[in-house]
Amino acid sequence: MIGTFQKMIASARGGVRARLAVPLPIKQDLDLLCRVTEEGFILPVLIGDGGAMESLVKKSPLSSLEHEIVNVGEDPGEALSTAITLVREGRADILMQGGIGQKPFMEEVLDAKNGLLKSKVASYASIVQFQRREKLVLVTDTFINNFPGIAEKQIILENVLGLAGILGMEEPKVAVISAIEQVNPSIPSTLDAAALAKMAERGQFGKAVVDGPLDMDCALSRVAAARKNVRSVVTGNADIYLVPEIETGLPLVQALCFFGGMKTAGMMLGAKVPVIPDIPFISDEERAAELALAVLMTRKGGNHE
Amino acid sequence: MIRSLSDISRLALEKGPKKLAVLAPEDEEFMLAVKRSWEKGCIEPVLIGDRDKMARVAETVGFDISRFEQIVEHDRQTVSDLGIGMLFSGDVSVVSKGQITTSYVYRSIIRAEAKAASGMTVTVVSIWEVPGVDHLVGFTDSGVNIRPDFKTKVEILRNAVFLCHLLGYETPGIAVLSGRRTFGEDLPSYTDYESLRRMAGSGCLGDCEILEATSIAEIFLGAGGRLKESVNEIDLSKTPHIFLAPCLDTANILAKLDLAMDIKRCSISVTSRGAVCIPARSDLSSAIEDQIEMGVVVADRIQEGVR
Repeated sequence: MIGTFQKMIASARGGVRARLAVPLPIKQDLDLLCRVTEEGFILPVLIGDGGAMESLVKKSPLSSLEHEIVNVGEDPGEALSTAITLVREGRADILMQGGIGQKPFMEEVLDAKNGLLKSKVASYASIVQFQRREKLVLVTDTFINNFPGIAEKQIILENVLGLAGILGMEEPKVAVISAIEQVNPSIPSTLDAAALAKMAERGQFGKAVVDGPLDMDCALSRVAAARKNVRSVVTGNADIYLVPEIETGLPLVQALCFFGGMKTAGMMLGAKVPVIPDIPFISDEERAAELALAVLMTRKGGNHE
Repeated sequence: MIRSLSDISRLALEKGPKKLAVLAPEDEEFMLAVKRSWEKGCIEPVLIGDRDKMARVAETVGFDISRFEQIVEHDRQTVSDLGIGMLFSGDVSVVSKGQITTSYVYRSIIRAEAKAASGMTVTVVSIWEVPGVDHLVGFTDSGVNIRPDFKTKVEILRNAVFLCHLLGYETPGIAVLSGRRTFGEDLPSYTDYESLRRMAGSGCLGDCEILEATSIAEIFLGAGGRLKESVNEIDLSKTPHIFLAPCLDTANILAKLDLAMDIKRCSISVTSRGAVCIPARSDLSSAIEDQIEMGVVVADRIQEGVR
């Protein structure tokens, strides 16, 4: 099982390189691209104004490494649509945000007609290196869906289970979290959690063990759960935390990062290829791990066509 | 100014003992916390609950409870009603939840506030002690209001500001959290943030400052900023005093992240008549002690008329 970001990068070394589409790369992207190109698992395909990119690359160690430049001029929209086309046509394997603004990038990628959606629901999983555990923990959906209903949560869970498989989690333990551990009709997240747990019990999520609703103390601590008479293999040892909505998911992963000092990375799921939005609280080191994970996804054929 | 839970402990020793009604101390961890708090001189307990269960756990933790007032009651709602009734009648200064479901306690407080015609909305603040931050940090509402509308958020915020003032934070910084990103539909939580910021700017929310940020990342990195090297280099001095969460799920889930971090947590509801400690049923005795001490200090400051 891949339990650290370092191991993620190590696992990506030595195999077939993946072609990474980068629309309008900026200087910070080049530093990252140098790193992963040197590691040997990425071939960068830079899309934008040819002259400007050549000038940028000349000042970077990337100039001595293999890369491609696709000249489409300086229009961001053109660069992004070309990047998406390359991906759709199989001429690139991974898409990252590059220098495109988050709003146009996400809107284009999520566009039902011209985007990269594989199914109706794309989602985003944060990957967190928990301080007190020697493993990576997945938290979803922390970026894309505002208020998913039970049907969307079912797909969000399927998406993240695909990612868990790539990380080598054979029987992932999923905590569907809520404010309380009891099913309470007044708190909709508890109803969704109970339904997902029942679906899992019926084998609808393969080998995954899904329990919910679990409040955060039960999810994080087996001792705390036992004091509430909650007994489950998931308590204190969850691999995946499924959150009720974006209002919870986004601050949760940020709290783990800023107050817990935990390193985080992330990946958009449910797309035709791995897509990597630019999240400001993910450091360059973890961005390299994101690219390594994307490469592993392309090799294993998980979570994309 | 109170900077840590250690400061709270010190003050609780100075200001105690306060009369504390304990709702169903029928579990060893709760009874042990009551025992230690009494031994330290912080409280004079009134024990309300099942006589046999209280006697059994008291014996287990070596606590002679025969010297204290005991009110025998089996029905959970009645246990809660009795304790909260004592707070509102002035018979006790503080109430602490024991091994009893929280909803009973909230129901009792809501009824008592209605009866007292206080107009006070019942809310809970979960408080963190964060290493590297020179003040306590609250998350609210972590207990009662499932998806508060704007009007309720104003009340939640006012209660939190009141608590901050009790703790000596004259102009607390408030972060109104929202899951807003640059894409997708606008969220009601962001609209609420904008309105609350306007209200605070015109002085309608009392002495407090609403930060120009709706996410934790934005607070520490600034708008458009990004993490450069390591998260360990983040300057936590920008941490606000209060995080106003968009909904109950968010506040409760964030507050309980203490179990994954080097953080201490305690939860309190400040009513119109005093403090109610809201330890989680999963909390261990040391955490329950912290919460009792917080209740004692808040009760003392309410009695002093700190506003």
